[in-house]
Amino acid sequence: MADDGVLDEGTETAALREVVAAEHAVVWGYGTVGAALPEDARDPAVAADVAHRDVRDRLVALLESRGAEPVPREAGYTLPFPVLSAVDAATLAVVLEEGVSAAWVRLLDQSVEPAVRELAAAELGAAEVRTVGWRTTAGRIPVTDALPGLP
Amino acid sequence: MAPTPAPAPTGPSRRAFLAASAGLALLAAGCTAGSSGGPAVSTEEAERLAGQVTVQEAVVAAYAAATTADPALALSDLSAQAAEQLDRLRAAAPSATSSPAASPAAPPAAPVGADVRTWLRGQLATAAGSHAQACTQQSGARAALLGSIAAGLRGHEAALA
Repeated sequence: MADDGVLDEGTETAALREVVAAEHAVVWGYGTVGAALPEDARDPAVAADVAHRDVRDRLVALLESRGAEPVPREAGYTLPFPVLSAVDAATLAVVLEEGVSAAWVRLLDQSVEPAVRELAAAELGAAEVRTVGWRTTAGRIPVTDALPGLP
Repeated sequence: MAPTPAPAPTGPSRRAFLAASAGLALLAAGCTAGSSGGPAVSTEEAERLAGQVTVQEAVVAAYAAATTADPALALSDLSAQAAEQLDRLRAAAPSATSSPAASPAAPPAAPVGADVRTWLRGQLATAAGSHAQACTQQSGARAALLGSIAAGLRGHEAALA
């Protein structure tokens, strides 16, 4: 929330920019995920990459329509661990999706427009559905999260 | 684009990658459902949130009914998560548990036929949609909590597919 605890378009825009930053990182990360998967197992990574690029571009357009500067992608990102196998790739995808889920929840916490909340809730749900698939591939148990994106 | 040659983190932790690489440190200390310090809750928002407690009670009841109808589904993990979601909602909507007007959710009808899994997925989809819709009419931590629970139930649906 804002320093005074009041939610307004400023808090919403700041949270939108955080989501864009997260989406940039996810799009970059899915390049690594896809490269580490066998060719016949790449479809989910490709689909996720397309979905994240799409929502990132929509958010950038939204920010531009508000006169706010979108967050540019970083020059580089650091992997949290070496990705040397399909299981590593799935584990990275889990980290990516959980990270962007936290950004969407942050946006829900900071937003004022119902339409923005609707977008955030929909994308948060989509991220969790993808995460269930990746947790399954990574051998994580349980494959679900009661409260995606919340600490 | 190549990764920055920075020291490798000690291991994969939840959100560590994004928090470190995308400047999202705020996420680590971000919103906490039910946290104090937010804007005051309107009566309308409080009533709506209490309504979502009833929706979530129906989810918990649906898991119980599905388990009874088909114990082989092994729903204990998902059921426990649904109960955890209900606890968080109740904590965020104290009026839902203190008001005598708040009645518990009616137990869902026992699934008919063999396809208990499909029936349960339908219950979860309905509840997730309700929470997501309610999320748009809330603000702050309450919106975050409802959106998160809706997403969690979408994940349950996916896990049962």
